[in-house]
Amino acid sequence: MKELMTHHISQQFNTELEDLRQHYLTMGGVVEKQVSDAIEALLNSNSDLAEAVQEQDATVNKLDELIDEECTRILAKRQPAASDLRMILSISKAVSELERMGDEAKKIGKLTQSLIEEGESPRGYVEINRIGTMVSRMIHDALDATARLDIDLAIKVAKQDRVVDMEYKTALRSLATYMMEDPRSITRVLNVIWVLRSLERIGDYARHLCQHLIYMVKGVDVRHVPAQEIQQEIE
Amino acid sequence: MSEMKAHSIDISAMQRSQQTLRIENETPCLTVNNLELFYGEKQALNGIDMIIPEKKVTAFIGPSGCGKSTLLRCFNRMNDLVDTCRITGEINLHDTNIYAKGTEVAELRRRVGMVFQKPNPFPKSIYENVAYGLRIQGINKKRIIDETVEWALRSAALWDEVKDRLHESALGMSGGQQQRLVIARTVAVKPEVLLLDEPASALDPISTLKIEELIHELKEEFTIAIVTHNMQQAARVSDYTAFMYMGDLIEFGDTNTLFTNPSKQQTEDYITGRYG
Repeated sequence: MKELMTHHISQQFNTELEDLRQHYLTMGGVVEKQVSDAIEALLNSNSDLAEAVQEQDATVNKLDELIDEECTRILAKRQPAASDLRMILSISKAVSELERMGDEAKKIGKLTQSLIEEGESPRGYVEINRIGTMVSRMIHDALDATARLDIDLAIKVAKQDRVVDMEYKTALRSLATYMMEDPRSITRVLNVIWVLRSLERIGDYARHLCQHLIYMVKGVDVRHVPAQEIQQEIE
Repeated sequence: MSEMKAHSIDISAMQRSQQTLRIENETPCLTVNNLELFYGEKQALNGIDMIIPEKKVTAFIGPSGCGKSTLLRCFNRMNDLVDTCRITGEINLHDTNIYAKGTEVAELRRRVGMVFQKPNPFPKSIYENVAYGLRIQGINKKRIIDETVEWALRSAALWDEVKDRLHESALGMSGGQQQRLVIARTVAVKPEVLLLDEPASALDPISTLKIEELIHELKEEFTIAIVTHNMQQAARVSDYTAFMYMGDLIEFGDTNTLFTNPSKQQTEDYITGRYG
């Protein structure tokens, strides 16, 4: 499937598409690191790392702009068709998803600093650790699926998002109980909930990346298809 | 209240405007059954089966020598002029097989008109170029000819540009105008089908766009088949696209699908500009 990008008669066009793909994967790598750093900073109460995560957002925003411009330029100059067209459209959308992931990571960085200032209390950190690990894995797999054009893996990631959603709901329930038992903890627990909320959103964006990938490879729009029906929809 | 308004947007109208065309829902104008064509020993068309839908634009794309022009020329029996050419199978124009014995070829070519790559106006006045087809049909009434010439020039989006110089030589027109004049000459005899063989490839981009716009208007009244090397042009003007390769019809389907998600790898390679 690697030949999706190559073998154009125009060597220049090959290069442009390959560059675009590389830039997208590079941006994916930056965001993947940003998210895992955000989780690590929180779990280890590392204020410097939390700061770095927030600063990283500027880079991600810049990449979003650059890659989107690149897409526009190729569309205008090459009038791509079929799989080339789908690749450019889906990358153009996917970089927006990555940019939003970056925003969520930045929020987590900010919340981490507030949590550190308020002092130690690992309530909710078990949930953050569990959901954070899942979500990081999803981003990693989504990018891996993109690099290898692996549809099976993409579908697996999309399905995984449901598990994250369920974990998120369970965590909310237990944290709500905790706040009722100890109203003094409300401010702090709310911050933990915002972190969980961001992680849950990041999971959604990782699922979107996979949906864009499926459109790119198969030409089927599965943005609004439930994960368990995607396979059927493609066939 | 503004939210209420948002809900009343007519999504179904949007969907209708984007609905994919389906060849099954079309009325066939030309039906091709197992058409094979040989130039001497060499087979140029390998058992083509397809329909050309009525009042739609069908584009033929494919690399040089794939048989697209040959197929187009079969539709009004232009290949009869090639000595070594032999044809089997049939092409029906509505219900009549145009290759049946006793077919009036001159009448067939009136019903199925053709426009070529290079504009070929006669060295006569603009008016006489368009009137020519009527005169050889024996129509002599000046009023009828006047009316038809105006109608044909209007149909070809040329009237406003030439109405004050109808009796000047057609050879003094620009290439793009000449090509539209040739189209006017073709439609003047009220054909059912217009065959366009690379109608814009010798024209500048603006004239090309005018021809494309014209094609869009002409399909209200005529069935159009166009051969073009310009894939974007095929994508812009046609409702259906046929991709041919080495004498085979590889893929035939609605243009929107063919250019975004073709079903055959060969089509994909061709329209994205890859090595075959």
